Amino acid sequence: MTAAGFRRGLVAALPFLLSNGAAGLVMGLTYKGLGLGAPHAILFSLLVYSATAQAITLSMWASPLPVAAMVVACIATNSRYLLMGAHLRQLFGGLAPRKILLSLFLLADASWLMTSSDADRNGPDAGYLLGSSIPMAIGWVGGTALAYAAPLATNGPLRLAAALLPTMFIATLLPSQWKNATSPWPWLTSAVVALLVSRFVDPSWSMLIGGGCGTLVSMMERTDA
Amino acid sequence: MRDLDILGVIFILGLTCYAMRAGGYVLAASMRDDGIAARFLRLAPGNLFIAFIAGGCLSGGLAGLVGTIVALVTMAVTAREWAALSAGFGAAIATSAIAS
Repeated sequence: MTAAGFRRGLVAALPFLLSNGAAGLVMGLTYKGLGLGAPHAILFSLLVYSATAQAITLSMWASPLPVAAMVVACIATNSRYLLMGAHLRQLFGGLAPRKILLSLFLLADASWLMTSSDADRNGPDAGYLLGSSIPMAIGWVGGTALAYAAPLATNGPLRLAAALLPTMFIATLLPSQWKNATSPWPWLTSAVVALLVSRFVDPSWSMLIGGGCGTLVSMMERTDA
Repeated sequence: MRDLDILGVIFILGLTCYAMRAGGYVLAASMRDDGIAARFLRLAPGNLFIAFIAGGCLSGGLAGLVGTIVALVTMAVTAREWAALSAGFGAAIATSAIAS
């Protein structure tokens, strides 16, 4: 875990102040509409810190609160974090778990994707994970708080930024990954399966199932990683 | 609905999400480096990137697709993230304006 890696991650993830801020703002406005107070909404975004889990549990909000169903929904939608955490252990195997606990608390899809890409370019560095996680968390929690502090309308470019910037940002990581590919088939499989899952099953599973199928194709065609 | 009930749910859900995040890291300690699972995890990132983008493009509509392609091409040419994001976001806004 290096300071240089931390700085590199922090700077690279600065655009997420905007995208996560906009998305967090939308989430905060939804909480506000539900009648939740600002402390509860901010605590929700800080502790749960998962757009998928928060959106799912929001849709289940009722009195009395269906806690067990909410927990199961959280596990199902966030099972991808198990894979991400296991992959991070591959990268940072020499690092004691206690040194990465905070970073894991802030682990998000984008910070994991960025860290994986950076590890290919500059070598594994847990500092990068922590650095890239911070702007994302500030954006998300800050956006939720802003929904209560300022009467902003979530339409036009703000909504577009929240919806598209994460995907575009991950797209910028692809050129560095292409050098590891031996053929287009795994990526094609990933894309097609993800689209099918997203269209006909559940968009929240598209990354995990699509990427899993593509990885299986990768494993069949490669004998060494 | 009592404040205490809401706070309780938030803490339980937060704990659940953190258990998922930390669980993979802790459980992977028992994994062999040359095992199938370890190899799967090494090969997974690029494929997950693509799957993430494909799903994002679908939900983002035409503006998302155009913006993502422009961002990808700009990144491949310039190797600068800020340039790629600016170009991609500009293309997405333009597409959205034309389409509406």
